Amino acid sequence: MSAAGSTHPAERRLSLLVTVLAFALPVIFVLVPLAIFLVYSFFSVDQGTIIYAPTLGNYVRFFTDPIFLPVFWNTIVLCVSVAVICILLAYPAAYFLTTLKGRWRYALLMLLLVPLLMSYVIKIYAIRSILGLNGFLNKALVAVGILDQPSTLFVFNMNAILLTLSLLLIPFAILPIFLSLERIPQTLLRASDDLGASGWQTFLRITLPLSLPGVASAASFVFVLAIGDFLTPQMVGGISGFTFGRILYSQFGTAYNWPFGAALSVALAIVVICAILIGERFGRNRGTSL
Amino acid sequence: MSALPRPSTIFLAAITTLVAVLLYSPLFVPIVSSFFTISHGNVDWSSPTLSTYVALAENHDILTALRTTLIVGVCTVVLSVVSGTLLALYYHGRRSGRSILQFIIFLPFLMPPIISGLALLIFFREIHLERSLLTVVIGHTVFVLAIVYRTVLMRLQSMSRTLVEASYDLGATGWQTFWRIILPNLSSAMVGGAILAFALSFDETMITILVTGTQSTLPVRLWAMMRLGFSPDINALVALILMFTVLLCVLAARFLIPRQMATERT
Repeated sequence: MSAAGSTHPAERRLSLLVTVLAFALPVIFVLVPLAIFLVYSFFSVDQGTIIYAPTLGNYVRFFTDPIFLPVFWNTIVLCVSVAVICILLAYPAAYFLTTLKGRWRYALLMLLLVPLLMSYVIKIYAIRSILGLNGFLNKALVAVGILDQPSTLFVFNMNAILLTLSLLLIPFAILPIFLSLERIPQTLLRASDDLGASGWQTFLRITLPLSLPGVASAASFVFVLAIGDFLTPQMVGGISGFTFGRILYSQFGTAYNWPFGAALSVALAIVVICAILIGERFGRNRGTSL
Repeated sequence: MSALPRPSTIFLAAITTLVAVLLYSPLFVPIVSSFFTISHGNVDWSSPTLSTYVALAENHDILTALRTTLIVGVCTVVLSVVSGTLLALYYHGRRSGRSILQFIIFLPFLMPPIISGLALLIFFREIHLERSLLTVVIGHTVFVLAIVYRTVLMRLQSMSRTLVEASYDLGATGWQTFWRIILPNLSSAMVGGAILAFALSFDETMITILVTGTQSTLPVRLWAMMRLGFSPDINALVALILMFTVLLCVLAARFLIPRQMATERT
């Protein structure tokens, strides 16, 4: 604990040292790298060597080249869709959890959250084998009679990325929605019931509005995680499933253009910051949020 | 919630079951494959076998990667618990500068890992630090620090101030109070934070891919192998890791949910 209020010079020097140390770690390993990163986005590359002279070239290229903006936009749309799918599945599940009593509620919540901790890479791989042309999904759809023959609808394309990301990120949507639903005072629901509202009316007028902050946090979580992922698209996207994350990643590998990659990351960071701010703004309503 | 009409309960239960099935399907496939053979989406139920587990024990690539992952995990846990706890202690109850520092600590956790990873990659290059396990450990520590910091800080905030005051009143020095009162009260939060940190480090892939040198951790090794498809012994590994993960979850829950709360809630 800090020695509050002491003015002894030695102690004051010690407390200054402690303060410097407290800031050093985060500043050196978080802030400085991000700052260098930002600076890098204004450099350029010539024949494999980085030119340390400021230029806006990377940003101009991002906005004028016909490749990047469409991929950027498509990726945003993709990740919004992932967020919507996750919420549509997570909301009823979270609601169901809150209808359960005591021990069951948390046991089931735990059950739905455990897959989060399971190896990400392995899940992607397994989902790929489920979605594959000879995978379980096609087998099942053919067996049920929905399809005549295995479909390539979800093999190595944008749909595959959409489905895989949704599957991976559902737990991130369940938790905030569950927490916001759980925090709705029971008395409000009883009051609504006493005043003669039907179950539907109570849901639409009380439960749903009060749980929206949770939905907003869930949406922003899922969106941010989806847009930052480059492993999933790389793994299940094939040639047609090209996302912004993959382009970014390739700038640091095959393309070897770090400054341009840094500029693309800045664009990504701006979208992420906006998503987090929107999630914060709507996630903090009425004191029922996280 | 109040009792729902029957049809809606059935509908909600059905969706929840569907979600559970969806979430567990990617875990189910490798586990089943570790005991049976699966070809073209069909399980051959007739021949259960443990051969995949035997093969795993002989796969040196995987075992080396596993060892690397454990080393990185342990170093990450030690570094993040020590620095996270110190930061939490330092900033507990302090107003000025706390929110800005907290924001910096949380940045790598909020930003997509590709951005944190690339920022570190460029940083290491600029300070001429070769990519190695050291850079991986730094990357992981920076990433999980927020979790440990938050876990410890929350416990500190829920700790009653009277304990510390009583200790001073009884004549204890600052150090004695720290060792005898504060640290024991924080220990379960620190253990819980350590478990979470380890779990996150164990599975961290995106930052690791970017900052690793020649030695790769398990997820990165698996990621590289996947381009060719898995050998069956990987399924055995997955089954083992799943069990290990469940164990970690149970442990983390035990340490992080205070005993009274757990009994209150049941």
